[in-house]
Amino acid sequence: MEPLLDVNASPVACTSLATNAPIWQDILAQAMTGELLAAMNYASLSEICDDPAEVADALEHAEGERGHAASFAAEGRKIGVHVLNNVDAKHWKRLREAFLRCIAERDFIACLIVQEIMLESFAVASYSRVGRVAPGTLGQTFARIAAEEEDHVDHAMSILRAERALDAQRFDDKVHRLHVEVMTTLAQMLAKECKDGHCEVCHASCVKPSLFDVRLSAAELRGASLQQYLKTLDMLGIPGELTLEWVTQLPV
Amino acid sequence: MDVDFALIGHQESWRAAADLVAVLRGPVRAPLPDDEIKDILPWIPPRAVCHVDIRSTAGATARGVYIDSFIPPDRLEAAYVHENIARVRGAAASAIKAGAKIVSLGGFSSILIEGNFDQLPERRDTVFTTGNTLTVAFIVQGIHAMCDLEGRNLRTSTLLVVGATGDVGSGCVRCLAPFVKRVLLSARNGERLRKLAAELKSKGIQVDIATNLEQFSSAADIVICAASLASPSLLPYRISSGAIVCDAGYPKNLCRSAETPDARIFFGGLGQITGGMKFAPDFGGILNRHPFPDVVHGCLLEGMALALEGRFEPFSQGRGFITPERVEAMESIAARHGIYLAPLYNADGPVQDPLHCQTASSTAGVGEPSREYFANSPS
Repeated sequence: MEPLLDVNASPVACTSLATNAPIWQDILAQAMTGELLAAMNYASLSEICDDPAEVADALEHAEGERGHAASFAAEGRKIGVHVLNNVDAKHWKRLREAFLRCIAERDFIACLIVQEIMLESFAVASYSRVGRVAPGTLGQTFARIAAEEEDHVDHAMSILRAERALDAQRFDDKVHRLHVEVMTTLAQMLAKECKDGHCEVCHASCVKPSLFDVRLSAAELRGASLQQYLKTLDMLGIPGELTLEWVTQLPV
Repeated sequence: MDVDFALIGHQESWRAAADLVAVLRGPVRAPLPDDEIKDILPWIPPRAVCHVDIRSTAGATARGVYIDSFIPPDRLEAAYVHENIARVRGAAASAIKAGAKIVSLGGFSSILIEGNFDQLPERRDTVFTTGNTLTVAFIVQGIHAMCDLEGRNLRTSTLLVVGATGDVGSGCVRCLAPFVKRVLLSARNGERLRKLAAELKSKGIQVDIATNLEQFSSAADIVICAASLASPSLLPYRISSGAIVCDAGYPKNLCRSAETPDARIFFGGLGQITGGMKFAPDFGGILNRHPFPDVVHGCLLEGMALALEGRFEPFSQGRGFITPERVEAMESIAARHGIYLAPLYNADGPVQDPLHCQTASSTAGVGEPSREYFANSPS
């Protein structure tokens, strides 16, 4: 499909990253797609908020995520590549559908769990890893956006902790139900190899085998993401032995 | 729910780690391939894995939690020391969060922390013990048991302790040196060696020290390896034919070699809780990988014994404070609750026949510890 939002302009030649530009192109495409999906999710969330302040907050987040997508597109231009995005790619589409089911149930807490705990854990961890190895402004952009996403999580944590304090068992059951739905898809995306065919975001063949060329690996990105997720669940107060079981039961 | 005690450990091998993950995945899901285990495990933050219920033969019960630091089995070397200390700190934080009144550090965790207790997280109602005093007790008991088994006389023996200046090594030296003919002490730190030797010489004990085993002029017929040896082939130096060798290091990796075909090796420092122990979920066959039931490292058993005794105190801390009197006190506490020396074994299997094991382990009968308590307990 066509990119949801074309924030690319004419590519600007860049020689320093030319060798690995196709790899960065796909990394940027995944990141940009994730940001646009987040923007859509926050926009949807604003529609079920009753409190005007919450509506404004959700819309502000949506705008922020669109800004992140634009930043990734701009980084692509600097290295001379056109960064595609595809929120209808099979994995991303399933994640969006899971979020929309929470919206249909007008379940604000479930929406926060999916977006802030699950998707943002993945974003914060993977952007941080990319930020460490990507050269120049590319690395700086990933690191900056990782830090901004972490601020989102902090904001949501206080709401979710208060919700858990009301009924921990009910809350944990809800997180587990959403975990099975959402984290299963994320685990498939993060698998070392794409076993179900092309992800529909990479511009050519799967980027994962090439990640070693830019000092990354699919195993590292998956490990860091799951670690961030477990730590976030710990901060919510969900028993560690429970979340360990959940994570080890994910597909690989 | 608050717990009486917490045990901090990690898996000794990738096989053990894979078995742990297989139990967590449940019977329906296929076990993860080894390469996936090796990729995933290092990323898991320290956390509780299961509850542990124990029972004293005197009737007391205690509930604990096993916390795995998820130190990867192939990252025990010095290069990973900071990472591993951070993992033990994280595990300690989990123990505090679980409300444990006393925390026992597993053998390798103790080595990392014994000189750095100030690196543990702030805590108010939780005390930590390295558990080294009970480890020393079981090593010393094991040496006596092996001497009995092999018909050796301790008084005419030369004792070599490798890793002699560590907490466990120096504790063993203090307990056994007065009862042997001569002591050979080996460690990397020459200054600490000289200090320990001076202490022993002031008591009339014959002592030789060396930072390299090849430097000793005499051979030992009883050996305690309290240092983890990267290569067991270091051992042939200065070891008599048929020497009794206690593998008290971590991980336990000594086995007979072409150079030491007659060595009588046993894994030291292990005890058995004869009142029974139960894991929930059931990790029994995973967390106890010894050939006998309810066998645990002495360092972990110390916290359990203190919990059963209701003595929530940091019994073992720091390095070099283990004395024969402290060892005796800890042995008494453990014995009151049916915690005894485990049947001796090595990489080839048990070194005692089952009948002898039962006698050595006193009340419960090794191999068939009491199950009454667990039969009546909720799962």
